[in-house]
Amino acid sequence: MLTINDRDRVDWKPGMTVRDVLDAMGYSYPLITVSVNGQVVDREEYDHFPVPDGAQISVFHLAHGG
Amino acid sequence: MAAEKIEITINDKPVGVARGSYLLAAIQEAGFKVPTLCHHKDLTPNGTCRLCIVEIEVRGRKRLVTSCNYPVREPIRVATDSPRVHQHRKVLAEMYLGRWPNVPVIKDVAKQCGVTDGSRFRSELTDENPKACVLCTHCVRGCAEFIQERILDFAGRGIKRHLTMPFGDVDPTCVGCTSCAYVCPTGAIEIVDDKNHPVDARLIRDHGMKVNAEMANLDPQQCRMRQVGTANIVDVMDQYDLLPVHNYRFGSHPDAKKIYADEMRKNYFTQDESDSCWLGCSMSCCKAAENFTLRTGPYAGQKVLIDGPEYETAAGGANMGCFDLDFIFEWNFYCDTYGVDTISFATCMAFVMECFEAGVITTEHTGGKELRPGAGDAALECLHEMARGEGFGVDVGQGTRWLKKKWAKEYGADPQFLQDIGMEAKGLEYSEYVSKESLAQQAGYTMAVKGPQHDEAWLIFMDMVNNQIPTFEDKAEALYYFPLWRTWFGLLGLCKLPWNDVVPLQNSQYPPPVAAKIPDHVNNYFKFFEGMTGIPLDEEKILAQSARVHNLQRVMSYMLGRGTREHDIPPYRAVGPVTSEEYESRRERYDKQMKELLGVEPDRKPVEEKIALLRRYREAQYAKVIDSAYQRRGWNKNGVPTLARLKELGIDLPEIVAIVEGAQ
Repeated sequence: MLTINDRDRVDWKPGMTVRDVLDAMGYSYPLITVSVNGQVVDREEYDHFPVPDGAQISVFHLAHGG
Repeated sequence: MAAEKIEITINDKPVGVARGSYLLAAIQEAGFKVPTLCHHKDLTPNGTCRLCIVEIEVRGRKRLVTSCNYPVREPIRVATDSPRVHQHRKVLAEMYLGRWPNVPVIKDVAKQCGVTDGSRFRSELTDENPKACVLCTHCVRGCAEFIQERILDFAGRGIKRHLTMPFGDVDPTCVGCTSCAYVCPTGAIEIVDDKNHPVDARLIRDHGMKVNAEMANLDPQQCRMRQVGTANIVDVMDQYDLLPVHNYRFGSHPDAKKIYADEMRKNYFTQDESDSCWLGCSMSCCKAAENFTLRTGPYAGQKVLIDGPEYETAAGGANMGCFDLDFIFEWNFYCDTYGVDTISFATCMAFVMECFEAGVITTEHTGGKELRPGAGDAALECLHEMARGEGFGVDVGQGTRWLKKKWAKEYGADPQFLQDIGMEAKGLEYSEYVSKESLAQQAGYTMAVKGPQHDEAWLIFMDMVNNQIPTFEDKAEALYYFPLWRTWFGLLGLCKLPWNDVVPLQNSQYPPPVAAKIPDHVNNYFKFFEGMTGIPLDEEKILAQSARVHNLQRVMSYMLGRGTREHDIPPYRAVGPVTSEEYESRRERYDKQMKELLGVEPDRKPVEEKIALLRRYREAQYAKVIDSAYQRRGWNKNGVPTLARLKELGIDLPEIVAIVEGAQ
């Protein structure tokens, strides 16, 4: 099980990447910063960066608009 | 999508490089130095000077390429200083030095190539001026890429090539943004006048050019303000269930794709120019459609130019259930032409449409118009009536609050239902975001001094998605800081978009509470202010400047009879589901909240009971959040600034105290 933003839960699957987590959450926003267990992940790495089971993931959306 | 990595070797050192990235960046990343003249970190590389040449080997064949604009697409071997490279660079450097022997940047780059004597290439072309133009193209690219103009370019060929404006004259369309002078490496372009007489023009320029560079390099991957303007978030709001649909009942719709920003760009937008709000603005978020043929109203059949639509206007279309860009553009045009605010019209009309659908009003009341959600032509006719001062349009023109009163009094409508679904507070219509899942946004909207506008606090993502302000104290802090920060833009008459509609890459290094403020961009504004006035600023000073005005505005609001707690209470549609249709449409979400937040098992409860329980919970939560926000702002429990707070801000003038002392 993965925890997103200290609140939401996503079932973990073997081989899961940051991209899979974003897809599962429906996060399509362009201005996000992702960190996995406190480590910031570069945008270029989303497709490959492995997410371990039990990870705490922060997907930080910067407000724009408004 | 993330780029594939390609393994290459640079001077026998293995390096992983993202496919399509430029070779010079990989060389520098790997720690090797290559001389450059025309390269600039913020401009698209073009290989003009040829000094960055390196030797590459692809499938056994060797050749020279300019590394700055060579995209890596396959495994290659790279030599940055082979004998062949060295010889080419040396000759080039001699030629540069022969032509411009006294320009410091030329002397420096020649030295890097091992050349200090250019006499072999001295000729009648030799220019002894130490500030000569060296044809590096920085200025041409700066003009094109920073502010999307083509004021400067080269004329002539070979030895006659020279920098010029069109036809050798001063181009009157040049706004004097100084981008060209800023990127010029030799001083050939000088700034001769700063007409606004800033104290420190350089300070303003240093930070303004950062914004320009970010717009050129980051905006295409971020908000695409240059391409589609603020309409870029139509897509985002739909995907996050935040786009108001059918009078804020829902947050998304399958047809919303028809009004996504790319549809506007593909089929309507013809202009990418600044809106003249700031001459030379590098963001140029204004969009316009030319040669649009109108179908209705006094200009039917004519071709017109339409300014927009921005996000709020497009989202207003969704709120009325009109997912038709022809309608949205025409309605946008007529609102602009008549001087009608698109947000107020859309939110009011969405309310009218829901009331029509619910049977509160009928065609008897609307002058025969079937004003159901999605009835674009009927809504347009209502707008034309409003402008002509005729029929039902006159009533709609009075706004949502007025309609609520009239329909309850004269048509016997249920006033509670009208209050629940009529999206206004303080008499102003809500702007176009669904706030049901963000307590902080509900308060940010409804506590805004002028009424529920998002320009004081837009906290939906921070609260609902990021969960970064989970406690009431956190929300109160956000409801203190952001309204004051955003008010400051109004005080100075500055645009807020370069603050958070483009974000520097290094922003991700900050922890979320700091990153949310985009500190590097806040610093830009400090420097703009300091450069203009000579007065250094920091966060504390900005908040103090704003707090005086913000509190004075609240006192005025109180004087006008809408500055107390009851006026900060939103219609329930802004807070949660009013109807069973709404509840059922997001039942999974609401049932989960019943279980997790209220400790209530939802399975066997009728939907009306679930709505009532959720409402009681959410309204209590809302009351707590405004209590916390009032306290943080120095207002009493009724939302009136305390005398102590007015004194602290230095605005406890007798005439101001007289207004609020009875409310203490």
